[in-house]
Amino acid sequence: MTPMPNELIRDPLFQLNTLLWLAQPMPDGSEISPLLYEKGFTVYAIAPLLGLPLDLRLVAQEAQIDMQERVRPDVVLAHEGARKFAFTECKKSSFGATSSTAEQGRSLLVVAGPRAAEVLGLAPGQVAGPLLAFMTPQTEQGPLAQTLATLYKGLNAAQIPAGQFSVLGLASTETEVSIAIDDQASAFFGLPKGNNSFMKREPDTDPRPLYFIPYDPDIDQSPEEREFCKRVLFERMQSTVVAAVGHAHHPCELSLNSEKILNDAMFGMYGQWENRESARHMRRLCWQLMDALAQAVNSEAPNSITSQPGEGWKIILQNSEQQDKVLDALTRFSCVTLDLQTEPQPGLFDDLEDGTLQGGGE
Amino acid sequence: MDLRQIQNRQQMIRFFDGYAIERMEELDERKLKRPLVKSHLLEILDGQEARTSQGLQAIFGRRGVHLQPLDEELFLATDDQIGQIGFLERLRPRIVALYSVMKSDELGRWVRRLVLHSPEIDHVWLSGLTFGVLWELVTRLGRPHRFTRLVFTHDSIFAVDSTALEPGEEEEQISQDSEDEELGEIIERRATSFRLVDRIGVIQEKLRKLQEIYSPLYAISQLRFPSPVGRGGHDFYDNGRVTNRSESFRDHRSHLLFVVRIYEQLLKSTEEQAWYSIQESVGVPGQFRKIVGAPVIIRFREPLNADVFEYWIKATFERKRNRFRLWGHPIRLGPTKVHVYGVDRHLWQPLFLELTAKGCTAIIPNGTCGNTVHRLVTNIQRYLDPGAEAFIGDKPYGQIVEDSTRGIRYDPNAE
Repeated sequence: MTPMPNELIRDPLFQLNTLLWLAQPMPDGSEISPLLYEKGFTVYAIAPLLGLPLDLRLVAQEAQIDMQERVRPDVVLAHEGARKFAFTECKKSSFGATSSTAEQGRSLLVVAGPRAAEVLGLAPGQVAGPLLAFMTPQTEQGPLAQTLATLYKGLNAAQIPAGQFSVLGLASTETEVSIAIDDQASAFFGLPKGNNSFMKREPDTDPRPLYFIPYDPDIDQSPEEREFCKRVLFERMQSTVVAAVGHAHHPCELSLNSEKILNDAMFGMYGQWENRESARHMRRLCWQLMDALAQAVNSEAPNSITSQPGEGWKIILQNSEQQDKVLDALTRFSCVTLDLQTEPQPGLFDDLEDGTLQGGGE
Repeated sequence: MDLRQIQNRQQMIRFFDGYAIERMEELDERKLKRPLVKSHLLEILDGQEARTSQGLQAIFGRRGVHLQPLDEELFLATDDQIGQIGFLERLRPRIVALYSVMKSDELGRWVRRLVLHSPEIDHVWLSGLTFGVLWELVTRLGRPHRFTRLVFTHDSIFAVDSTALEPGEEEEQISQDSEDEELGEIIERRATSFRLVDRIGVIQEKLRKLQEIYSPLYAISQLRFPSPVGRGGHDFYDNGRVTNRSESFRDHRSHLLFVVRIYEQLLKSTEEQAWYSIQESVGVPGQFRKIVGAPVIIRFREPLNADVFEYWIKATFERKRNRFRLWGHPIRLGPTKVHVYGVDRHLWQPLFLELTAKGCTAIIPNGTCGNTVHRLVTNIQRYLDPGAEAFIGDKPYGQIVEDSTRGIRYDPNAE
């Protein structure tokens, strides 16, 4: 699978995971040069929910400026020493100043503005310099910068304080993947203006890194990318189940539920999902995999995996023979045999599991 | 001797001390009548159960090994099938030593079977990079005129596409610590296995230069710590076996404690730095989450050729029993690049890997034992690239081992 580079750099999950890798500690000469980490930036928060100051919301209402009352930038990067905070958002493409996405853009400009410390719940002195940074394909860099400038002007005219912004442009050639740095980002991150290469490409090779966050039902992806990400999610859920069974001491009855499996597979990010429908979608994917795993296992070790609507699954391991059979069936099963293209259908028991999501639902 | 006659720690130490003196006399006469004392260092997976004596008894009991307590940390170990094995002592919270006078091949086979079937028990893995740091300690602790012994083992088993090379359980067991056996096969791939015995000062002067010329010399698989209290020394193997070739068991045990303290610190540092998790950001608990951790990066000195890479991936992920003890379904991203969101199938813990011709990047989720990393590094040096460099985050692995030795003192009177 070697997607066209232009498709890949438009994918918000590729962008997000790339951004996370750019802020990871790695030695010189690594496959990815961690440009942001080398300049002192690390991940401060992933998808934090940030509310706008109430007074600014009132001002916006009076000025009839549409804004979201709270936003979730994809990642907040921080330079602890310099007390700099970058609110970053990944976008497939630019958007217009009158589009619905512009509401999110305005809110992000406000949270990255002079009131950033308050928004983050920090003392004023703890934030010296905030910046709003969008990551998008380099071809979208100019149009997006124009849109942000328009939004900024509008906020300024209404006397709503907004922050500095920049647009990081991802580009891929046959030999490398790079990020185009504009004036604002150059000053903020300390990176040279222009194209900064961070990954060498190998011929006929997909440049994507390992994914920290493998899946997000709320983003717009190409069918190919959605399929790939679904496979990674399935692989990670399967590894959670394999690890649990391999590590168990027979005789025992293992209990697994979709919340545990999804949180293990997503580094705990599933627990952060606010959108109830998205959380349901994730649970349906979990059921899709677990149904297939149960079928594969039970055909070799009958009645070893049973599902309980609203609760999850019980895996019965009475003796070493049964444990070995279950493990054999689980490890032989391959997620590529699943239908990765069709979206899972609503289940009869979706509602029963809604309550299991911590902080989920509104 | 019936080991049940030994009732307490003092008696055990006296027994092994006397036994060691007899064997040294026999070694002097080149007529070894009984096996030497061997210790096997084992890592017990961290967890509530392993922290108590009863828990330790339960873990071994599940594998048919009865631990009869002599005191809080010392047990007589008896196998349900073959009888008395030796004494098992918890040296550190996560590391135990099994002392035995069984024949080395029988004991080695028994320990490997125990480890193979126990997700809570693993060998202590001393990689070539770790031995590199321990060797520096030997040069500081031992006088230059003392003799030492190093063994280098590298076998490019993935360099030829022969299914005969991928081991069954028993074959793997034999090759893992092949000390004396004669290799009868005709080898047409890079395979280095030789021992070097010389004075510490001489080796110290030459080794680094030799390693630069010939990279398999980075793959140290055995190292002798000369005994400071007499002749001979203590041979440490890469899989945690330690043979007492000195006349003092107390000194043997002191060396175990010294190395085990370093290893324990190394495990702790590895886990602290490498574990990936999403944690609450400081400042606003319960609201923000961030990724903490660092990738484990192993970089090959020379890229693998495409055939070797292909065979490595197939031999690892298409076979249940594989050298690396990994499971997963590789996602192909290019001729020499795969991603595996898999499991360490010995400890049964998740592990995410990017494997390329140039090296390996691993994401170790929170809770995965640090031993996974040390086993990976050991096996890569042994089977793929003896001169491979490893990092946790941006910190060299060797530096982490070196930091782990700081403040650890050799105590010849350790009880």
